[in-house]
Amino acid sequence: MDIILGIRVQDCTIIATSKAFTRGISILNSTDDKTRQLGEHSLMAFTGESGDTVQFAEYIQANMQLHAMRESYELSPKATASFVRNQLASSLRSRKPYQVNVLIAGFDTKTEKPSLNWLDYLGTNVELPYCAHGYAAFYTSSLLDRHYRADMTQQEGLDLLQLCVKELQLRMPMDFKGVLVKVVSNEGVKIVDF
Amino acid sequence: MSGYDSALSIFSPDGHVFQVEYAGEAVKRGTCAVGVKGHSVVVLGCEKRTTLKLQDPRITPSKICPIDKHVLLAFAGLNADARILIDKARVEAQSHRLTLEDPVSVDYLTRYVAGVQQKYTQSGGVRPFGIATLIAGFDPNDATPKLYQTEPSGIFNAWKANAIGRSSKTVREFLEKNYDAVMDAEATEEVNEQATVKLTVKALLEVVQTGAKNIEICVVKPKGLVQYLSVEEIQVFVDELEAEKQAEAEKKKKGKKTEE
Amino acid sequence: MNSVASQFTFKNTKQDFQDAQQSLSGFQQLNLAPSLALPPISQPTDFLRAHTDDSVNPDCKIKIAHGTTTLAFRFKEGIVVAVDSRATAGNWIASQTVKKVIEINPFLLGTMAGGAADCQYWETWLGTQCRLHELREKERISVAAASKILSNLVYLYKGMGLSMGTMVCGYTKKEGPTIYYVDSDGTRLKGDLFCVGSGQTFAYGVLDASYHWDLSVDEALELGKRSILAATHRDAYSGGSINLFHVTEQGWVFHGNYDVGPLFWETKAQEGSFNNVEG
Repeated sequence: MDIILGIRVQDCTIIATSKAFTRGISILNSTDDKTRQLGEHSLMAFTGESGDTVQFAEYIQANMQLHAMRESYELSPKATASFVRNQLASSLRSRKPYQVNVLIAGFDTKTEKPSLNWLDYLGTNVELPYCAHGYAAFYTSSLLDRHYRADMTQQEGLDLLQLCVKELQLRMPMDFKGVLVKVVSNEGVKIVDF
Repeated sequence: MSGYDSALSIFSPDGHVFQVEYAGEAVKRGTCAVGVKGHSVVVLGCEKRTTLKLQDPRITPSKICPIDKHVLLAFAGLNADARILIDKARVEAQSHRLTLEDPVSVDYLTRYVAGVQQKYTQSGGVRPFGIATLIAGFDPNDATPKLYQTEPSGIFNAWKANAIGRSSKTVREFLEKNYDAVMDAEATEEVNEQATVKLTVKALLEVVQTGAKNIEICVVKPKGLVQYLSVEEIQVFVDELEAEKQAEAEKKKKGKKTEE
Repeated sequence: MNSVASQFTFKNTKQDFQDAQQSLSGFQQLNLAPSLALPPISQPTDFLRAHTDDSVNPDCKIKIAHGTTTLAFRFKEGIVVAVDSRATAGNWIASQTVKKVIEINPFLLGTMAGGAADCQYWETWLGTQCRLHELREKERISVAAASKILSNLVYLYKGMGLSMGTMVCGYTKKEGPTIYYVDSDGTRLKGDLFCVGSGQTFAYGVLDASYHWDLSVDEALELGKRSILAATHRDAYSGGSINLFHVTEQGWVFHGNYDVGPLFWETKAQEGSFNNVEG
């Protein structure tokens, strides 16, 4: 029931993840961070099987950093998404696949464009203007279809996110303890008060 | 041929492992690298081979390589061997971050690199790395500079200043005589940094005759601040040293004249 | 994980290859790399589940000790760790005197919930890893690193039947008082306050209501003890006695063992609580 949500606007990509960490019938932590920073301008949000999620994310993170040290440049968001997709696809065909779904938010410093990629554990990779994983998608997709515009500013994007979160709080049967919001722009990755 | 140096790293009757000693020879033939510690800075310097007429110097790899954001490695010896060792070190640095949730300490990385070098003196079907390394940097959340050296045998040591490669003995002796230059405890950090870089350049000029264009300098400061100096910046130090030398010579001449 | 799987899948071919190699070279290659021993059946997970999962099959032959209440929380003066001491196997109370706090080393404590054997073995193993780290690095291991060693280990065995829910508690100069929750599906979480085990909800109930950062040491110990007592009262799989620990910068200190039998009546009389119970 984790919520991960992404919105790409004119000059940045916004990622929101729920702060509750649930195990069985208890919330163990209400300040959870379901994202890992892969590079200066890329962020990955994840949900799925507990254990797999963090292991996979940190594995990707380490490999991205290793790439940056070896080649002294960082992968573009598009290349990052392809790499992650490839890892998920190979894992799917192994004995014990990672059951992890992710969103990758990036800012391509060459083309000066933000990006948002949706990947699932089966190895699907699509670039989208806005997307979510899990139940959150059922509640917010229509809302985003209705109100999203490609030329939104960061503030308008955050306002739209506020609408989505309000809807989730209203209709989702459990308390997800609010969301942690991060923005990926040409200035890098920043946490936003929300 | 004594037969103890053909295929394997095995002992000769008097306790030498010839393959390892030959690796040491490869190091001595490599271009010189110097490392000097200041108060809160480490400087690595390298002799850069003159590029051939048609070689593109911009994309010819450097001999000072980042291992992680806060650690650098300079080497002397076989470039090709170094690439392999450097990659192993980089993988270990990331693996350390992943499993211990902390960046590597310079000490840890040195032990790892020396450990790999040692392994290649005691395994079958391999040959030792023909390189010595200088590993410089700062531990996470620490402002004390660190400088280590490793050798093909797997020996490692910590130094205030040291040189490896061609004419390393001359340079080391030079550093021993002139290390006072960076010892001034009163000096501000900026002055100390300048003095450290200057000493590094001066040490390298002991073996590099061709000046700034054949020198590479890298300054490492706490919190992963790494700065490669441009040829122009190095030239400033070279000119300064040249002027000092001239003044010295001038003085000597005058001294001689007055004696007369 | 793949290394584990491939080792199993290609076990036969690998063995053939090794045999062939051996007959060629004439002497055995020492295999010094660590490896995992797996039982000689096709699906160890299913096999184990068929014989141990009493929730699915009440007649299963092996019943693993499960029920527990453990808690740990951070506060101004360090960490309080409190646990019960009952081990159950199915409906059978196997022991009332289990040590559920594992003293990894003088600065680290691990708690035990889930499979008693798994926790006991792997946390003792963790102790050896921490000591090796200390010898190699001339510095005590961070709680973050120690807990990650354990979580990486259990993740390697994920899906193969390990059952653990543990809190790794310690105090280092760099981190201060620190608690990590680690469980056998590979979850690893840093936090201020955790309750783990079948009685966790009951312990949370009392603990959350009175917990705050500025608790004194005595208040904190009392609160830890009282929260476990609450759980032993309501959770049939928790009981026996309470073990109390305080973790400080100088290491952990044991603060006694309290039998919940008499403790319950004392508490009831003193607090005027437990009014659902007559007497």
